[in-house]
Amino acid sequence: MKNHLFLAFSMLLIYSCSEDVEVSQSSTADSPAKSSSLERDPFESNYKPLESERTLIKSVNLYDGLGNEYSNFDVLFDNGIIEEIGKDIVDNNATIIDASGKWLTPGLIDIHSHMGVYPAPSVRTSSDGNEATSPNTAEVWAEHSVWSQDPQFSLALKGGVTAFHVLPGSANLFGGRGATFKNIPRNIIHDMKFPGAPHSLKMACGENPKRVYGNRGSAPSTRMGNMAGYRNAWISAADYQKRQNEYIKKSDEAKELVDPPRRNLELDTLAGVLEGEILVQNHCYRADEMANMIELSKEFNYKITAFHHAVEAYKIADLLADEGICGALWADWWGFKHEAYDMVPANIAIVDQARGGQGCAIVHSDDEVGIQHLNQEAAKALSAGLRAGYEITKARAMRWITSNPAKAAGILDQTGTIEIGKDADLVIWSKNPFSVYALTEYVFVDGAKAFVRGEKELQPVTDFDLGIINPSDERASL
Amino acid sequence: MKKLSFLIILLSINVSANSILIKSGQINDGFGNSFIGDILIVDEKIVEVGKFLNSSSAKIIEAKGKPVTPGLISPISNIGVVEINALDVTNDDSPDFFGPGFSVFNAFNPHSTLIPWNRSNGVTSSISTPGYSSQIFKGMGSFYLLDGDIDITGNADVAMYSRLGAVGGSRAETIQIMESMFELALNKDELELEELLGTTFASSIDMQLQDIQALSRVVNREIPLVLEVNRAIDILQALRLKNDYDLELVLMSVEEAPLVLDQILASGVSVIIDPMDNIPDSFDELASNIKLGGILSNAGIKVMFSTQRSHNYHLMRQGAGNAVAHGMTYQAGISGMTSIVADVFNIQDRGSIKEGHFADIVIWSEDPLEPSAYPTTVIINGSEMSLETRASRLTERYTDKRDIPSSYKH
Repeated sequence: MKNHLFLAFSMLLIYSCSEDVEVSQSSTADSPAKSSSLERDPFESNYKPLESERTLIKSVNLYDGLGNEYSNFDVLFDNGIIEEIGKDIVDNNATIIDASGKWLTPGLIDIHSHMGVYPAPSVRTSSDGNEATSPNTAEVWAEHSVWSQDPQFSLALKGGVTAFHVLPGSANLFGGRGATFKNIPRNIIHDMKFPGAPHSLKMACGENPKRVYGNRGSAPSTRMGNMAGYRNAWISAADYQKRQNEYIKKSDEAKELVDPPRRNLELDTLAGVLEGEILVQNHCYRADEMANMIELSKEFNYKITAFHHAVEAYKIADLLADEGICGALWADWWGFKHEAYDMVPANIAIVDQARGGQGCAIVHSDDEVGIQHLNQEAAKALSAGLRAGYEITKARAMRWITSNPAKAAGILDQTGTIEIGKDADLVIWSKNPFSVYALTEYVFVDGAKAFVRGEKELQPVTDFDLGIINPSDERASL
Repeated sequence: MKKLSFLIILLSINVSANSILIKSGQINDGFGNSFIGDILIVDEKIVEVGKFLNSSSAKIIEAKGKPVTPGLISPISNIGVVEINALDVTNDDSPDFFGPGFSVFNAFNPHSTLIPWNRSNGVTSSISTPGYSSQIFKGMGSFYLLDGDIDITGNADVAMYSRLGAVGGSRAETIQIMESMFELALNKDELELEELLGTTFASSIDMQLQDIQALSRVVNREIPLVLEVNRAIDILQALRLKNDYDLELVLMSVEEAPLVLDQILASGVSVIIDPMDNIPDSFDELASNIKLGGILSNAGIKVMFSTQRSHNYHLMRQGAGNAVAHGMTYQAGISGMTSIVADVFNIQDRGSIKEGHFADIVIWSEDPLEPSAYPTTVIINGSEMSLETRASRLTERYTDKRDIPSSYKH
């Protein structure tokens, strides 16, 4: 079928586009972190999909996450992988879901979540997102704070979110490592980790670090203090990287003669960035500060994957496109602090359309309610873009909540689009997903029904939800 | 009948110094009626709503079947009293000295950037409320028209704000203090009041004469008490206080309301909710559910909308849209942003499209409950408002591709 050919071709394209964030896993073989008593690296993903069945979705309207829209299409998946996409697919072994008049999209992805590290209820005892005790805490890992029973996971799943990236907070210049998860709530956190997904390093510009540490009378207390803090840390990291690499390159005989250099968790993370294994997710609002951060990345030869929040990204949209940096943005948040004062609702569209559509725009949530409605946030951003004079299709805007965040999380080779060979992370919507009235009907993660509206047994209920108001009931029937 | 409307048309032609005729709008009048029609506005008021209206002197705005609604009224906002939340010198919503006696009224800045922004998104008036307070009663909010005029149009002190629940200390003590303060406020004898102020209770909670005077307006039903409360049993406590002190009560947030639905309905109170907040954000909100709006409204309770989304009070539209997607009627979604707010907060002649009412009217690009909708026309007090905002100016500047510094693009 000719559509298959077209989709396969688009897949090649997207792979080449994503090269800049693809991560070499090869150096982990030499990593001093490798432990002899585990089959896998410590804290590595131990995710296993839910049981799934061969499924054929029939007659659905489809946004593929690459920028294309198809009507009355069929999608077949088996063993968690998309096998066939096109018209009039016949398969006698598959369970058939008639989705006439409905819409199919890739599972939505949030590149900026604090679920688990700031779980619900929002109380002191489980508020574990900001290790605000030193401006550089590159040594902490968000996944070690994640509470696996956070009821917010299931709410996000119901909103169509099949994968999400959890970041530490923004109090620090270097906040620590972020991690990506498949949205199948499990009671052990590395059973949720997205297989093969790279770590990120959370960095933060601007008001937060200078406020938190300035108030304590310690550095940084200014934006120039922020910059000095980053630069000093990268100097140490470059030195550490050099010493680690010198040791690794030694022959086995030479290694016998010296002690390996002592590991340092903080510098492990920073050196991982310099090696290109860890992706930089940089909280930064103001255009002038983002330009400084780009300069900094060139001074120390690392890559910034995305600027987060970036309320002023529209002021330097061409620069971001030239540098291949994504903008992970809100549709319309503003005014809660000074660096968020210059919001324009066309921000996402302007970033997307930079250099003739070369920009990488992402709708992110940073919010437990927003993550449930990423499609509506994209609808607002699209509307603002059209009003600003851009010609942007809904199919293209769908990239903002699917393939672009997948790219920024380093998981685009596995999810974020509807293409043959990809994970069957899919959502069936009752109506066009850019409408407020659209509800998710089915959410598939790796081809398995993770959520089905109206089917009680296919709606995850956390330990927290169970029997807490009324012993014989769940917290709030989803 | 025909003759009568002809006469009215003649009349309007004669008086129209400043008149606007909106033609062929899909009018939702805020009361539950939806129809294709025309609206004739003369000076500040709506003089006629009907079909096939004509006026030789009015400015004609062709709505071409697009939705037309009353201007939205935000029942809770910080418009005009907070410019940047995390910058205390721009915040005027929190008292240092008064408790219930705090009035936000004189702080309103008609040049706040929140005004053109919210107005261009369809909010034509709002109630600005006290923000954080360490006290149980936070003070009084005021109603303002968002025309941005330095000659401010508004109503001072339209409601008292308070909260009950997990905010430190025992909620039992919160209730005891509330009751004691109401008792003080019920005392009308001025001499005795001064004596009461000297009591250990009044002085230990720093109660001032202004605080007692403000609370006496609450216990005398002159203004409603807006009480933020979530836990089901706390809602029942609030309803008991309403009975004991004969209060005009509005409940806010009420995330566990479905557990005590019958009691709320029987009490006749109205509610302000954020329909998108389904997060069990505290141990008071365990029953939090996105169906809240529909459950309350379908039971017959009047529902208004708040939003937590950062300076964007127009996003109550998105909240209402989500409530409708989860079971609320469409009409309840519109009324909850218009006529119900006017009714509950005693805002005269606004919140609906009705002859004799002030002309606060919005024409929308599409169904206003869709997040992608935006106003194409906003009218406040009969005047067409500019839709320009600081954001639209910045957008123009940064989509201008001339190769000169942005500072020279204006």
